[in-house]
Amino acid sequence: MLRFGNRDPNGGDLVVSLGILALVAVAPAYVTNDYWRGVLVVSMYFAMLAAAWNLLAGYTGQFSLAPAAFGMIGAYVTGMLAYYYGVPPLIGIAAAIVVAAAIGFLLGRIVLRLRGPYLALTTLSFAEIVRLVISNSIDITRGDLGLNVPGIVNQRIVYYYLMLVVLLAVQLGLYFLLRSRAGLYLRAIRDDETAAASRGVKVVVWKTNAFTLSAAISGLAGALYAHFAQFISPELGLLSQTGIIISMVVIGGLGTLPGPIGAAFLVYVASEFLRDFGGYQLIIFALLVIIFGRFFRDGLWGMVRKLVAGAKRRAAPPAPAE
Amino acid sequence: MTLLAIAQVSKSFGGIRALAGATFSVEPSELVGLIGPNGSGKTTLINILSGHLAAEGGSVTLDGRAIAGMRPEALARRGIQRTFQITRAFPRMSVLDNLMVVGCALGLTQDAAEQRARALVHELSLTRVIDLDAGHLSGGQLKLLEFGSCFMVPPRIALLDEPFASVHPTMKEIMAGFIRARHKEGQTFLVVSHDMPVVVELCPRTVCMNAGVVIADESTRAVLTDPVVIEAYLGQAAA
Repeated sequence: MLRFGNRDPNGGDLVVSLGILALVAVAPAYVTNDYWRGVLVVSMYFAMLAAAWNLLAGYTGQFSLAPAAFGMIGAYVTGMLAYYYGVPPLIGIAAAIVVAAAIGFLLGRIVLRLRGPYLALTTLSFAEIVRLVISNSIDITRGDLGLNVPGIVNQRIVYYYLMLVVLLAVQLGLYFLLRSRAGLYLRAIRDDETAAASRGVKVVVWKTNAFTLSAAISGLAGALYAHFAQFISPELGLLSQTGIIISMVVIGGLGTLPGPIGAAFLVYVASEFLRDFGGYQLIIFALLVIIFGRFFRDGLWGMVRKLVAGAKRRAAPPAPAE
Repeated sequence: MTLLAIAQVSKSFGGIRALAGATFSVEPSELVGLIGPNGSGKTTLINILSGHLAAEGGSVTLDGRAIAGMRPEALARRGIQRTFQITRAFPRMSVLDNLMVVGCALGLTQDAAEQRARALVHELSLTRVIDLDAGHLSGGQLKLLEFGSCFMVPPRIALLDEPFASVHPTMKEIMAGFIRARHKEGQTFLVVSHDMPVVVELCPRTVCMNAGVVIADESTRAVLTDPVVIEAYLGQAAA
């Protein structure tokens, strides 16, 4: 039997996550326009980054500002391997995961003792340094000119389902990880590091693991994006990209399983509609983040859960106390 | 063999000597009270014993092995579990998960941890809130939860820092009963408390600290009538 309990995430969170992905799976039947299918593919890229950042910020309490940087690292690893050595995409993507994970591991060790704003500022500096190095190493990366990356296949629809399968794997993996003892440790560290240590949780090990895994997933997302877009530039690592990822997670529900990926589609598709407003879209999302952060701490998914719980209570009044 | 030996432990914060050579020891299966006026160094000592602070001098041994300088998680794995004066739990995790994480961290399987956790929850009368997030518990329930999490895996020694402070009498009784029952089974405790009636009732032996040193270490009755102890609490005139 499935152990439901109120273990976070529970079976309901998984069902809703799968439901969101099922909707995305049938979407091409209705979205026949290539441009909008492309928008959904990029949404899936962001959904992976959002899920990875949520693992770190939402479940482990480590508010890193480097998710976009790890996506960019993944994209450049496979992009440059293909550009210079003609390495096939599959190997390039694997290398991107490994390199991003290794850098995530190192960054995790460096920021181990930093908390709150100090952690945010240090990871922000890291992200900007990586972006500036890539942007200014013109001889190697072609800088702001960007890099052409070979595609994997010709049809957009194949990319679409490739991204979807990977996103599904990421989401399932996170579900089972968070349901295991690892999930207990990560949430304990998020809630109170000192208490976790004094109860015997290996805080150093698990924080590093979370950084490494989050970076690996981001690297994977970036590498897949590189082969889909067939063009990468240092713009992938802009702070505004991290801003979009954070807004997705906060609007969807920080520390919830389905929230961030659901909101990734909502936010990215909305930002396409708002494209005509140019720079104003960021202001709108920033406002939304502030409103959600202040009034709806559990995001959209938290609201849905509350509504469902309320409806259940009304339908079945609680049993009298023993 | 002596379970916990504290010898000449010292610690300063800036110019203030919180501990100035505290020395005493705890034998296996003992239930020892630790009292002393505010600022006498009790919590500093607990923080050193549990690895949250490093001592500047002296030695601490557990089962004959030096443990000074070890980290909290390592000490927890060696069997030192503690509660905090200002209660610490995991506010966004359920009561059950709060306990399970301790069991898992100390090597139990998830199933074994869940069984132990459910039994503890029952014993501590928290059954009705088992699925509630710890952040939604009352202050007393939270104290009981933190207290219980020390016993997911029976520790070598439980260091309880003010477990009875601002707790409803009913819950105090649950805790005292729990301590008494575990003590009978051979569990070792060091209990910091200002609640003298409970200390008198529970602890056969009491250590009293003042200004960072041990000023009395004998049977609880004797400690409470010791002129040195009375002077420490009330000033010279009273003694």
